[in-house]
Amino acid sequence: MKRRNFIQLAASSLALPVLIDGFGAKAFARQSSFVQSLINLADQSDRVLVIIQLQGGNDGLNTVIPLDQMSVYTGANFRKNIAISETKALKLKNYAATGLHPAMTGMQQLFNEGKLSIVQGVSYPTPNFSHFRASDIWMTAVDSSQTAFSGWAGRYLDKRFPEFPDKYPTAQMPDPPAIQIGYVTATTLLSPTDSMAIVLQDPDTFARLVGDKPNAPATTLTGYVGKQVEFIRQQQASSVSYAGQIKTAATKGKNLATYPASNTLAAQLKIVARLISGGMQTKVYYLTMGGFDTHATQVVTTDTSTGTHATLLKTLSDAILSFQTDLAQLKVEDRVVGMTFSEFGRRAISNGSFGTDHGTSAPMFLFGSAIKTPIVGKNPNLSDLDNNNLKMQTDFRQVYSAILTDWFGTDDTTEAAALFKDFSVAPVFRQTVTDTEPVASELRLYPNPASSELTLESSLLGQGIATLEMADMQGRFMSVTTSRSTATSVRVNVGHLPMGNYILRVETPQGLLSKRVMIAR
Amino acid sequence: MYLLRRATFGPTPDQGKAFAGQTAAQVVAKLLADQPVPTPPLDLATSKTFHDLPFDSTNAGKLNLYVKYWWSNVMLNQPVSLLEKMTLFWSNHFVTNDATVNDYRFMYRYNALLRQHALGSFKIFTIAMTQDPAMLRFLNGNQNVVGTANENYARELQELFTTGRDGGYTETDIREAAKVLTGWADTGYRDTTNAAIGSTFRANRHDTTDKKFSAAYKNATIKGRTGADAGLAELTDLVDILLANPETPRYICRELYRWFVNYDIPETIETNFIQPLANLFRQSNFELKPVMSALLQSQHFFDETVRGAVIKSPMDLVIGTFRFWGLQAPDPAQSTTNLTAYYQIGNYLYSRAKEQQQDLLNPPTVFGWTAYYLNDYYQQWINSTTLGLRGFFADALTTNALKLNGKLTVDVLAYAKTLSDPTDPTKLVNEAVTQLLGIPLDQSQKDFLIDTVLLSSIPRYEWIIEWNDYIKAPNDSAKRQAVQMKLTAFIQYIFRMAEYQVS
Repeated sequence: MKRRNFIQLAASSLALPVLIDGFGAKAFARQSSFVQSLINLADQSDRVLVIIQLQGGNDGLNTVIPLDQMSVYTGANFRKNIAISETKALKLKNYAATGLHPAMTGMQQLFNEGKLSIVQGVSYPTPNFSHFRASDIWMTAVDSSQTAFSGWAGRYLDKRFPEFPDKYPTAQMPDPPAIQIGYVTATTLLSPTDSMAIVLQDPDTFARLVGDKPNAPATTLTGYVGKQVEFIRQQQASSVSYAGQIKTAATKGKNLATYPASNTLAAQLKIVARLISGGMQTKVYYLTMGGFDTHATQVVTTDTSTGTHATLLKTLSDAILSFQTDLAQLKVEDRVVGMTFSEFGRRAISNGSFGTDHGTSAPMFLFGSAIKTPIVGKNPNLSDLDNNNLKMQTDFRQVYSAILTDWFGTDDTTEAAALFKDFSVAPVFRQTVTDTEPVASELRLYPNPASSELTLESSLLGQGIATLEMADMQGRFMSVTTSRSTATSVRVNVGHLPMGNYILRVETPQGLLSKRVMIAR
Repeated sequence: MYLLRRATFGPTPDQGKAFAGQTAAQVVAKLLADQPVPTPPLDLATSKTFHDLPFDSTNAGKLNLYVKYWWSNVMLNQPVSLLEKMTLFWSNHFVTNDATVNDYRFMYRYNALLRQHALGSFKIFTIAMTQDPAMLRFLNGNQNVVGTANENYARELQELFTTGRDGGYTETDIREAAKVLTGWADTGYRDTTNAAIGSTFRANRHDTTDKKFSAAYKNATIKGRTGADAGLAELTDLVDILLANPETPRYICRELYRWFVNYDIPETIETNFIQPLANLFRQSNFELKPVMSALLQSQHFFDETVRGAVIKSPMDLVIGTFRFWGLQAPDPAQSTTNLTAYYQIGNYLYSRAKEQQQDLLNPPTVFGWTAYYLNDYYQQWINSTTLGLRGFFADALTTNALKLNGKLTVDVLAYAKTLSDPTDPTKLVNEAVTQLLGIPLDQSQKDFLIDTVLLSSIPRYEWIIEWNDYIKAPNDSAKRQAVQMKLTAFIQYIFRMAEYQVS
């Protein structure tokens, strides 16, 4: 149970630490990704992850604005020269304390539609300030004191497609496990032995470039040269074997939405949408956007809502909105989630050049129709800095863990192998109950474990009970009888239920109560 | 040949012949000889230099490209010299990029500075680079002023330019170094009226307090100074303490090793090669020539184990292939026709390398190209697409579709005639692969190239007949084409071989 230690996660990430380990109404009406991961449904095999790397270190504090601390944020000794004004910041539905940069209207729309999640304060212990080293840490998912040569997604895909590329393509997996649009292969996609990705710039010309099957005679070279020659040959062979598949998918696939012009990220996402709609079985797409190293003039001095950083965020936000719109129109929306990351955030205090130096924690974005929790964590506390840097709330590997566990349905062992350790899951794809809900002490459930009867006590019950449901870990509803002994408690008869874990979920006019129950005899 | 392949972008046929049989010492002496400063780039519209004029905002994009085309051609046309390979090395070390700097005159000046110091004193180089206007803009040194320090340059100066990440410096050292470097600014940026560009030290923006460094720099203190000379005096002190860190010469020598020898530096290489080279570097007061001379003449450099260990960079591949076929850019100063052709060729070289992910004067990040620092190093150059583009580049040279300066690029028949006995397919293939590939093939591979690739499984004696038929009637297009197509397929195949991608 360590990795699902919600209380621990809650304490580190939520203002009012009530994170109820249940699944909301949505989860039962339409099975949530978490439930799916638990029962490991076969249809998860068509799930796709899109990773967008923001190179250079994105300034989180001007991306997601802490509207509850504007006096500190705009202070002369803080960010006065680059601060986004409260009036210009974009408002978020149901989250008055948090705003988005004015250029991010697209992502604001997705947030308000419940398709965007902001994970606040993501970093790792003892953060590194070097672009190079910090990128490595994020890509390889190691502790900052350790090194690795393979990437987290590469290790996951290697477990899922063992002996790639030698024994592939197969009938079950005719396509490359990962596709990177653009440049040199990202470390994220390296398995311990091979790259799990095919890199391409344009699916239309890919087959033509790659040419026919190379009929190369075997090499007897050893040592360094043998290694290099072998690597190049293997790249040739896999590109040839996948060229046809990619061409077919590109021809069959289409785009239905309009993508913004002159937007390099949108152009890449357009290719991804087309390949997905064309039937590519690829699990991970990797895209890159550069330019976030904003040491100087990240804003226009006369209008801080414009400038380099605004242009970057607009590019990002517009591209993601058009991609999500396209996926919805292509009716593949439920199969895809996206994630952004950057090697670090920037210093909380701006420098004198209207820019920001290298910092530590920053928000991550996840998008897609599978999103359950709009904001994980809280606004960074600007009055509690560590050497002018924002403190960490969530480890980035908790987000990876959420993707592997809740999205890809990976088992604990594989997940721990991909991340080198067991991490608690950031509740991006799970419904969480935050400050509008009662605090934990207001809810009592006993006995737990229970054998025949259990009692739930809460002041919220005084207003009456709308619904009461008991579900097993597969999401199946159990029939239970209840009785009210007092105005603030309810008794549930569980004597007939098989031993195991269940979720008790009670809706009241004042809010939702949900709690995990164990039946043991 | 191996020495020339690694130390330059590869020899032209003439250079190959001229240097055959010379000792490594003789070749290295030639490689390290001083070279004249290349003539600056000319504007196609005026046939005049443009780096020494006020900024032309209308034509800035075009003029910026001319600088890149020009540098490509300087590499293509250079005599046997280490200079351009070193200049490219330094552009990957002291990185700036034109996308950020955005003034082609700054980029030309920066490129000239790299070349000027490429084989000089690293100490003087570092001091000059810190004041370079392109660098001041790229890493915000121009915005680093007393009270509101911008740490960008101070960090990269230590992490990437001198001490390296293993140098043990602290965040305090970053801040203190930033203070030392306060007050510098570039001048003349995108100035459309005045031609002069450069840098200046503004004493009133300088932090005059004492700067105290950590144990990594032996707890050194740089005395705060005032006045017009304070900036240079403190900068010189700073470079002295950075270079005194024992990791600095090792770090630079490792970079040189990865550029010229091999990516992998196990403990034995670190102890037996890097450390002695670093000692030499320090003893030579950070002069680069002694280090390069020792490196290129070392037994280890010629060791069989490192042959073929380097995957050619796009510039290596593109420039090296052109040079192998004797392709050169014409003298641009002679005529407008020449200048047009000069930029056509420069454009072609530059664009091919760029699409293969090496954009001259525009490395992707301040770390330079990933092939020299990321996991798997040179393999970073290779992926499905870049490999396709490498093959595509070579195909284009041999299909006769591409004409540069009005001429065919590769004439396979003329090439075959330069070999000792083109009637004999065995000798032809043996000689061609020896010349084209940096590593030997085994017999089964050669047989495959002869029988399957060159002869499409017809008997070998048929080649003799076909070749002789062509020689007897060289103007008979059918006979000519019969051998030409076979040779083209053969050369194209070699270009696409994995063995062609390594050196």
